[in-house]
Amino acid sequence: MRKLLVAVALLAPALALAQRQYIDVGSPDFRPLALAVVSFQAGPGAQADAVDVQQTFRDDLALTGIFDLLDPRSFLADASEGTQASSIKFTRWTDVGAEGLVKAAVKREGPLVAGELHLYDVRAGREVLYRVYRETNARLLAHRFADDVLQYYTREQGIFRTRIAAIRKGKGTWDVVLMDVDGKGAETLRRETSIAMLPSWRPDGREVLITSYRSGKPEIWGIKVPEGTPRLVVSLGDLASGGVYSPDGRSIVFTASVDGNSDLYVASAAGGAIRRLTTDPATDTSPTWSPDGRRIAFVSSRSGNPHIYVMNADGSDQRRLTFKGNYNQTPRWSPRGDQIAFTARDERRVFDVFLVSPETGKISRVTQDQGRTNEEPSWAPNGRLLVLVSDRGGRQQLVVANPAGDRQRVVTTDAAGTAAASWGPFSP
Amino acid sequence: MTGESAFLRGPDRLWPLVLVSVALHAAFIGVAFFVRPPAIVNLEQKPIVAKLVRLGEKRPEQWLPRRDVPPPEAAPRAPDAVPVPVPGPPAPARKTVALPAPKVAQKPAPPRPASATTGGKGSDALSRALAKVRDDDKLASKERWGDPSGLPDGDATDGSEGDRYLGLVTQALQSSYRLPATISEQERLHLQAIVVITIEPDGRVASFRFEKRSGNAAFDQALERAVRESRLPPPPPELRQRYRTVGLGVNFKV
Repeated sequence: MRKLLVAVALLAPALALAQRQYIDVGSPDFRPLALAVVSFQAGPGAQADAVDVQQTFRDDLALTGIFDLLDPRSFLADASEGTQASSIKFTRWTDVGAEGLVKAAVKREGPLVAGELHLYDVRAGREVLYRVYRETNARLLAHRFADDVLQYYTREQGIFRTRIAAIRKGKGTWDVVLMDVDGKGAETLRRETSIAMLPSWRPDGREVLITSYRSGKPEIWGIKVPEGTPRLVVSLGDLASGGVYSPDGRSIVFTASVDGNSDLYVASAAGGAIRRLTTDPATDTSPTWSPDGRRIAFVSSRSGNPHIYVMNADGSDQRRLTFKGNYNQTPRWSPRGDQIAFTARDERRVFDVFLVSPETGKISRVTQDQGRTNEEPSWAPNGRLLVLVSDRGGRQQLVVANPAGDRQRVVTTDAAGTAAASWGPFSP
Repeated sequence: MTGESAFLRGPDRLWPLVLVSVALHAAFIGVAFFVRPPAIVNLEQKPIVAKLVRLGEKRPEQWLPRRDVPPPEAAPRAPDAVPVPVPGPPAPARKTVALPAPKVAQKPAPPRPASATTGGKGSDALSRALAKVRDDDKLASKERWGDPSGLPDGDATDGSEGDRYLGLVTQALQSSYRLPATISEQERLHLQAIVVITIEPDGRVASFRFEKRSGNAAFDQALERAVRESRLPPPPPELRQRYRTVGLGVNFKV
C-alpha cells in the first residue's frame, strides 16, 4: 500500500501533463476504387456480343459511383499477357493506378452467350474472383459480371439484374414499362389508354401497382409481371391512389378521398379489409413504409403546407418530420431505413430531391441546379442508388443518382418523356 | 543487494523517496507561482470541434439546405468502349440518339409573384425574364451562406464555438480523410479507430500510432494515409510541448 502511495506521489505531476485531448473526425470523402477493365476477348462470331457485354458491364459499374474506370489508353501492360495471375505483370497495373483488374472472354454456345470473368487484386498480385456463366443474351451476362464484381467489393448483393418500372407517355397512351437499371432493355408490360401513374412494385417482383383512371376515377390496379394482366385492387370513395405494398407483401397502404377528405388507408394484398389510418381534416397522402413495416411516412398539409410526417403502421403516434421548405412531397423510405428521400420546392421555386433522417430530421440535398424539376425518387433495393424524374434535358427523363448526389446519370432518352419510376426488388 | 529495485527494499528506505517527491512538488509549485505566470490552458475543458464558419449572411433556418459543392452540371458520360481485339470488321460504332427539341415541362410551373411592369405583352415577357434573371443572380450571389460572426476563410455555413486550433486540425485531417467507396454500408456503421498523433511545433506530424484499430484493413490503411498526407497548422506556443510529447488523439468515424 505504501509503495502504491509513493508511486502515485511521484507520478501525479506527469499524469496531469499526460491528459490527452481527443477530437472526432468523421464524414470521410469516399474515393472510388480504380478499376482497369481490359478489352474483353471474343470467340468466333461473338465479337458483337463481346462489345455489348463489355460496354454494358462498364456502364453498370460506372453507374454505382464507387468505381473509377481507368482509361484503357493509359494501360501499359502487354495486351497478350493472358489471364493466369502468374503471367500478369501487376506492377504495370499499379503504375497506372489500378487497384482492381478485370479480364473476360465471351463466346457463343448455340443460342447462349457464354462468358468467363477474372478479377484480380492488383496490390496483392492474385486472382480473387473467377466466374463462368451462360445466359440468353449479352446484357444479362454483363449484368451478372457486374453484380459479381460489386458483390466482391461491397459484400452486398448486386442490383444490376433488378428492373425499374416507369410510365412512358405516348399520344393518348400510358405504357407501363420495365427496364434495366441503365435504362436499356425496356419492355412494355401493359399499354393503358387512360391516365396511369404512381407505379409501385410488390416485394416479390410479381406485380406492379398503378393508379389508373380506366373506370373514370383514380383506382388502384395491379399489373401482373411478366404477363401484364390487370386486376382491380382498391376502388374507394372519390379516388384511391398511390398504393404501396408493405415490405412483407401482405398489406397495401394508399390514399383515398371519401366525402372530400383525403386520408390514408390500409388494405389487405387482395384489396379487402380496408382500415382508415388518418382522420385529420387536412390532406394526408403519399404514404411509404419503413423497411421493417412498423412505420409509415406520408405527406400532410395539416401545418398549412405539405410536409413529411411519420406515424406507426397502425396510425398512432403521428409526428411532423420536416420543418424546412414549404412544399415537401413524395417521400420514399430507404431500404436501409436511415433516410427518407422526398421532393421539395426550394426558395428558388425549383423542385429538387432531398433526404431526411427519420430519426434526427436532418435534411441533405441530392439534386441542385439541374433543371426546374427533379422529383419522385425511388430507392434501389440496396439503398445505394436512387432513380428520379428530371427535366434537366428539357423533357422528363429518368436519372440514377447516388444519395450524396455527386454521381448522377440520365438513363433514358425517350422522345415523349418517361415519368414516375419505381425501382424493383432484387431478382430471385 | 546492489541490483535490487528501490521498491523491493525495506520500508525504512522509502522515506527519502517521499521526501524527494515532496521536494519536487514544492519546486513545481514554486516555479508555477513565482517564476512567471503560466499560460492559461484549461486541461479540464472538453475539446469542442469547431467548424470555421464562413463570414457572410446567415441562411434562413426555414429554408431547405443548399450544397456548397453543387452536383455535376451534366451526367457523367459512360466510359468509352474498348475495341475488342479480334481481327475482322471494326466494331459497330455506338448509336447516337438525336435529342428531340425540348418541350414545355409536364409539370405546371409553380406560381410566380405578380410583375409590376407595364406595357405590351412582349415587354411583359421581357420584364419577367429580366426579373427572373435578377432574382436568380440575387440568389446566386448568396450561394455561399455564412454567419456575420464567421471567418473569411471559414468553410461551413453554421457551427458552434470551440477551440480554434482543434478546429483547424480537424479541418486539415478532414481534407485528407478519404476511404474506398467499396466499403459496404453495413461495415460503415461500425468502423471506428483512434490514432494518436504527435505534432512538431511547425505542424508536421512527428509520429502516429493506433490506440485502437478498426479491424478493417482497408479502413486502417486509409487512416494511415490520411494522417501522412495531412498538413496540420503549427500549435499555439502554449500547447507545443503538449502536442509534441503527449500527442493528440483522433477518433476517426464514418
